[in-house]
Amino acid sequence: MLMEPLFAGLYALMDPQLLVLLFAATLGGVIIGALPGLNATTGAALLLPFTITMDPIPAIAILTTIYCAATFAGAITAILINTPGTSASATTCLDGFPMAQRGEAGRALGMATVSSTIGGIISIVCLMMAAPLLARMAYNFAPPEYFALTVFGISMLATIGDGTPMKNIIAGSLGILLATVGKDLLTTVERFTFGFNELSEGIGFVPVMIGVFGISELLVQAERLQAERKLIQMKAIKLPSREDYRKVWKTILRSSGIGTFIGILPAEGATVASMIGYNEARRWSKTPEEFGKGAIEGIAGSEAANNSATGGAMVPTLALGIPGSPTAAVILAGLMVHGLQPGPTMFTEQAEFAYAIFWAMLLVNVMFIFVGLFGAKIFARVTFVPVQILWPIVFTFSIVGAYALDQSMLDVYIALVSGVIGYFMRRFGYSVVPLAIGLILGGMLEKRLGQSLIMLDDQWWLMFTRPLSLLFFLLTILALFGPYFWRLFTQRDPLRSTGE
Amino acid sequence: MTRYTVPCGTIAFCLLAYWLSTQFDRVPPILLRGMQPEDFPQMVLLIIAALSVLVIIFEKPVENEPVGVNVWTSLGLFAVFALLSQIDLFLGLGIFAGALAWAWGERRFWGLGLVAIVSPAMIFLLFDMVFRIRFPRGFLTNLWYG
Repeated sequence: MLMEPLFAGLYALMDPQLLVLLFAATLGGVIIGALPGLNATTGAALLLPFTITMDPIPAIAILTTIYCAATFAGAITAILINTPGTSASATTCLDGFPMAQRGEAGRALGMATVSSTIGGIISIVCLMMAAPLLARMAYNFAPPEYFALTVFGISMLATIGDGTPMKNIIAGSLGILLATVGKDLLTTVERFTFGFNELSEGIGFVPVMIGVFGISELLVQAERLQAERKLIQMKAIKLPSREDYRKVWKTILRSSGIGTFIGILPAEGATVASMIGYNEARRWSKTPEEFGKGAIEGIAGSEAANNSATGGAMVPTLALGIPGSPTAAVILAGLMVHGLQPGPTMFTEQAEFAYAIFWAMLLVNVMFIFVGLFGAKIFARVTFVPVQILWPIVFTFSIVGAYALDQSMLDVYIALVSGVIGYFMRRFGYSVVPLAIGLILGGMLEKRLGQSLIMLDDQWWLMFTRPLSLLFFLLTILALFGPYFWRLFTQRDPLRSTGE
Repeated sequence: MTRYTVPCGTIAFCLLAYWLSTQFDRVPPILLRGMQPEDFPQMVLLIIAALSVLVIIFEKPVENEPVGVNVWTSLGLFAVFALLSQIDLFLGLGIFAGALAWAWGERRFWGLGLVAIVSPAMIFLLFDMVFRIRFPRGFLTNLWYG
């Protein structure tokens, strides 16, 4: 019974045309990850409009492929030019670049490729097992439980992005407010539409995402036109030796576990995973003093963690409809655009689809080996595409993509305005990631609150008498105030305060 | 810009949006199930305003370099694009892309041609012929649509 959709999903993927498309998406994802300023989230947001005319399986498989491939590709530029292609690879620079400087670029890239692949595969296997279980658990959730879960998902926004927790929650709330534009689902009353009929259906996810991730990045790049990058020469990529494997296998396994777990947490993504994976690798290492000077364990710890977070992030995305990372939020938007409803029913009513996505992700992780081993040298050169050529083309893609979904010029202007707002938000320390996730979850949050109130006969406090919703509310409090309590607790520690 | 400008601007925005929300149609109590349409947005606005007050009190100001000339130029070109797109979307895109590349220092003829002519044309053909997207009629698109 369980095996049937598993193999049906694999069979759905065995279309030669689709396999070629996935290989092309892997190459595309690696190029996106290597291009200056582009990352998995921006790449997925820009390519989302390309998938609208496709069937759901190839469409979402392409987006997840871009996610995995771009996350991996960040390591190439991190090692060869000391510029992380994606923020998730920032910790890879710490040891990758020093190794490249002392002539071991090939060994460093080989380790990054192998640990990314192993981390990715471990997390996909976890995803295949955990997502249906989580979905089965959530199958009996009533609206109050769903509401509490969505509140918990939103509370996790506090810790993501570049902003402080308070600013992140403001940005997330702004996203939720944007989701209220249009007809109210319960009363059909129009809100904040200012007489524009096109706004009755609400503000689309796609133009806002293209704006805040793509167009705002163009303005950020405008500030960095003078940045210089220097490529380290590399003869050939080298697979890790037996000695290397002996040194790092524990690190890879540990980081894969950490990455998968962090990925499963709502809204936390590969960047947090790589930081924790790297720190844990250093903490458990027999030679922690080598970290930062070219330790191969550092590369393994960072890369296994960031790539395993991609699989982990898809667990809450598919099983609960709560994005596990910023890129997963774009994929969630893609699912909704294709009329699919992520959540527990996905594993009963669309199980073949869900498993096809899992297999696609597994396949991509295998493709890395070939792309990483044979193409790293070429992809590193992609980073040197002049920004004054790249970003005008990205802008053209962004605008046409924003228009294409609903064929509306209003969406073009929404993307443009979102881009400008996104740039100034980033400038003043407000991350745009919570805004995008808030926009996606906002509609869901209001609908579930409304349904809960109807179910509980307007006695909202009864939500706190239901064990599961109470648990999610407590977790929300912990997510929001835990760091403050922790700081308070540690500051009062006399040993710490005296610095001993 | 002082540390108070952004949170105060946010609070002013919340006040305006709150006032706008009071203008929504209301559902008669006898037909109402759940919340009035303005309840949820008002709750969100109150949260944003309250957090903005906390930002004023607790957050350290963000030290920023002044917005650079390239950013202002790009923003100006956005406005030009928005105006030109009224005439023709692809005319606006071509002029914007070429002007942006020029403003960012591109002087090679092939580079400018690539971003201003080749890439918008290729993207148009891709979306028109492969994805069957119909673009708004305009000065240039009429040449294709007839």
